[in-house]
Amino acid sequence: MMAATVDFVEADNAEAIISRIEHKSRKIESLLKQSRPVEALKTALEGSPPNTRDERCKSANWIVVHRAIMAIKDLDALFSSLDPEYYDILMKYLYRGLSTGDRPTCDQCLRIHERLTERAGLGCILRSLADTMNTV
Amino acid sequence: MAAVAVHQFAPCITCHAWSPDRSMVAFCPNNSEVHIYKLSEDKWEQAHILQKHDQIVSGIDWSSRANRIVTVSHDRNSYVWNYEGSEWVPTLVILRLNRAALCVQWSPQENKFAVGSGAKTVCICYYEQENNWWVSKLIRKRHNSSVTSVAWHPNNILLATTSTDGKCRVFSTFIKGVDTRDSKAGSSSDSKFGEQILQLDLSFSWAFGVNWSPSGNTLAYVGHSSTIYFVDDVGPSPLAQNVAFRDLPLRDVLFISEKVVIGVGFDCNPMVFAADESGMWYELCQIPWGEEDVINWSQVWFAVF
Repeated sequence: MMAATVDFVEADNAEAIISRIEHKSRKIESLLKQSRPVEALKTALEGSPPNTRDERCKSANWIVVHRAIMAIKDLDALFSSLDPEYYDILMKYLYRGLSTGDRPTCDQCLRIHERLTERAGLGCILRSLADTMNTV
Repeated sequence: MAAVAVHQFAPCITCHAWSPDRSMVAFCPNNSEVHIYKLSEDKWEQAHILQKHDQIVSGIDWSSRANRIVTVSHDRNSYVWNYEGSEWVPTLVILRLNRAALCVQWSPQENKFAVGSGAKTVCICYYEQENNWWVSKLIRKRHNSSVTSVAWHPNNILLATTSTDGKCRVFSTFIKGVDTRDSKAGSSSDSKFGEQILQLDLSFSWAFGVNWSPSGNTLAYVGHSSTIYFVDDVGPSPLAQNVAFRDLPLRDVLFISEKVVIGVGFDCNPMVFAADESGMWYELCQIPWGEEDVINWSQVWFAVF
């Protein structure tokens, strides 16, 4: 549950977003090498560009988030340290993962989805379904 | 907190309204009729059946002072019922709609009522003494989709609406001859009928259930994304808060005081929200209720009071 004042951020141009994503990707690789998958996931989820319509940006960010999601092994550790403000955006990416149809991705996403729903409730799922403007 | 009383009137109730002294309740049992039940010695007895509409009655409101009932239906009509002798006598109100009427509310002074419709319009109806009938004035602009809920500000002029286009809007419904101009300059009575005062773009999905706080300073409405929106200091620079919660979306809200709001919806338990001293709204608790969805707030009110 979160309460926040309404704040709309102007979307930068696509090139700036993609270079930021590449920068994020390098940081995530280094975090994964240090066996810090939860931090890697947080970094991947931060600054997700929902305000752009550009599919390339969304796909680029998805690749980075997907990498971090697949690296998660310990779900208890994930949920004990992931802040609630990430729940909604993570749920949106889980549904994107489920829509790929790729077996390992779907298995991992379902596993995380079960625990995330326990933590965040059905409202979290509703928010990822009902929001047609800020899609990932 | 548990239910004070539970009574099953019908398998499904689409809308309802309490009488001014709360001894009677009028509701639509998911057909084209309105049933009025009276509470006598702890038992509910059927007192009247109002049969005039052709389709489901989607909104009922019972005015407290004049003891009049207004009903609106999917058949695009509205009736104002007056209690004469021992019968409820209907008066047809021509709303001029080409789609279903979805919601209705009497204004605080009960000289007007507002109807939200699927025709993307809001009808403001007032009584014309000379012709002895209710006239409907339409607000046609602005809404991009069905108007799901309407709520009057205590000043009898401002009206808030929510729509399935996700927005909550506040309009002026000033009508010459019905409302009086405020002598203060820059007050809401300066605006013309149908002028949009404010549009809130807080929700990205359908918006339902809007309600003003008793003073008219705060507005609350719900979105289908399991979020409730609070707007303080409604005016040129409003302060908005989103409160996202765990459960299924809400459909209607009620301010039971300046700082406490009850929401009801697809989850079977009404939710209570409160504002702390700094003005931040948060979810306080749930009221354990029962198995059926609670779509309208008044069923909860009977339990709380």
